[in-house]
Amino acid sequence: MGTSPRLPSPMPVAPPALGWATGSGAERSWLSFSMEEDEFFGEKTFQHCCAEFIRHSQQIGDGWEWRTLKDSSEGYMCKTHFQIKPETLMSHSGASACVQTCLPIEEALELPLDDSEVTETTTGSQVIKYEYHVLYSCSYQVPVLYFRASFLDGRPLALKDIWERIHECYKTRLLQEPWDTITQQEHPILGQPFFVLHPCKTDEFMTPVLKNSQKINRSVNYITSWLSVVGPVVGLNLPLSYARAASEDE
Amino acid sequence: MTDDKDVLRDVWFGRIPTCFTLYQDEITEREAEPYYLLLPRVSYLTLVTDKVKKHFQKVMRQEDISEIWFEYEGTPLKWHYPIGLLFDLLASSSALPWNITVHFKSFPEKDLLHCPSKDAIEAHFMSCVKEADALKHKSQVINEMQKKDHKQLWMGLQNDRFDQFWAINRKLMEYPAEENGFRYIPFRIYQTTTERPFIQKLFRPVAADGQLHTLGDLLKDVCPSAVAPEGREQNEPRLKTDSRSEQE
Repeated sequence: MGTSPRLPSPMPVAPPALGWATGSGAERSWLSFSMEEDEFFGEKTFQHCCAEFIRHSQQIGDGWEWRTLKDSSEGYMCKTHFQIKPETLMSHSGASACVQTCLPIEEALELPLDDSEVTETTTGSQVIKYEYHVLYSCSYQVPVLYFRASFLDGRPLALKDIWERIHECYKTRLLQEPWDTITQQEHPILGQPFFVLHPCKTDEFMTPVLKNSQKINRSVNYITSWLSVVGPVVGLNLPLSYARAASEDE
Repeated sequence: MTDDKDVLRDVWFGRIPTCFTLYQDEITEREAEPYYLLLPRVSYLTLVTDKVKKHFQKVMRQEDISEIWFEYEGTPLKWHYPIGLLFDLLASSSALPWNITVHFKSFPEKDLLHCPSKDAIEAHFMSCVKEADALKHKSQVINEMQKKDHKQLWMGLQNDRFDQFWAINRKLMEYPAEENGFRYIPFRIYQTTTERPFIQKLFRPVAADGQLHTLGDLLKDVCPSAVAPEGREQNEPRLKTDSRSEQE
């Protein structure tokens, strides 16, 4: 059984605006999108990072899209993903590596992504439709991951069903404070129930990531880095090519 | 805030006379009488309806009972919205009492959040308070408070204790003397006419020139369709605001 992954420990946060102003050109360029001088990750920056992210997604056919709100400059990023969990591939305790137990259906069975064509296969396996939305929280000035899951017949998965499918590595940590971590909330744009990874700790783990990239003078896309940390916790994995693309941007 | 004490009390003690009726298709062993209750505007449906639940469950069999949910004229009621907000949004133009239908089956998964326990209501409430403080004080005031202060805020709401609640909330409603207000005003505008559930944006209480923003300024900025052009007095937007630290 793998141990819970340790997120980078929070470092004391220097005033971000000052710290970054002296950074290298690569970091400064995406920061120039901040509307106000005290906005570390403003909405315009968020939209810019998402646009870069989606550009790469389109190149590799990863399915992310941008949705704009009517009569507004606001929007969010979304992706629909199908997963099959064959009973035979359930990992048992004793394995020390974090083995992926959920296979993306398009890799496992090479089925089309259109949900009308995906069907349940054997009685032992289940097909689950996941929807992932990345929204911007102006209150916390960070991106927030909203997601929901349902069986193909439309029945939504309950929180406990989602817990079961969360990777063993992350379960111990999440179980300690479930109310602080994943909760069911109303999607602020669609008004429907979604599960949400609570945004108030995002700052804590993102700041060291960004500081480090500044130190090693390497460009980073906030959304790519953030999603690569929070995504796997809820079954969303990013191919490594996103990281290469981010360091090539700007 | 001290001169506003009367207003704060009036807001806190606001009540809505409500008549709860069991949905006609629920299976009962005998006739279920309607149940009347004064609902606190500042609270949440699932927090204040234990008696309603008990009353109807008395005439039902255990196997016919699952998660309770409420509906008004076909619209499932979101328990996570303050009661006063639900009423103002959906029923304020109808005659009192507010007629709510009670359901114990066919929970509308696509519309309503589940409310598995009082803890879920507390978590939601505290999450709103924290988000509001993120806007007002960059979370400094809420984070400096001890767990027992957070608990007191919640217990004050749960037990309808104005003084207990405001002993803590007043700290969340203060700002440094040198500032003219909070960093941003925590607000949400709800309308029945829009797709999205609410409008929430960053809005500073003070303009660049130092002038204090008014409610009218905020509306013109974030919701211009709700404000009539200057000089015309039609359809005055009616606003209900609560001076709690929570947004609504």
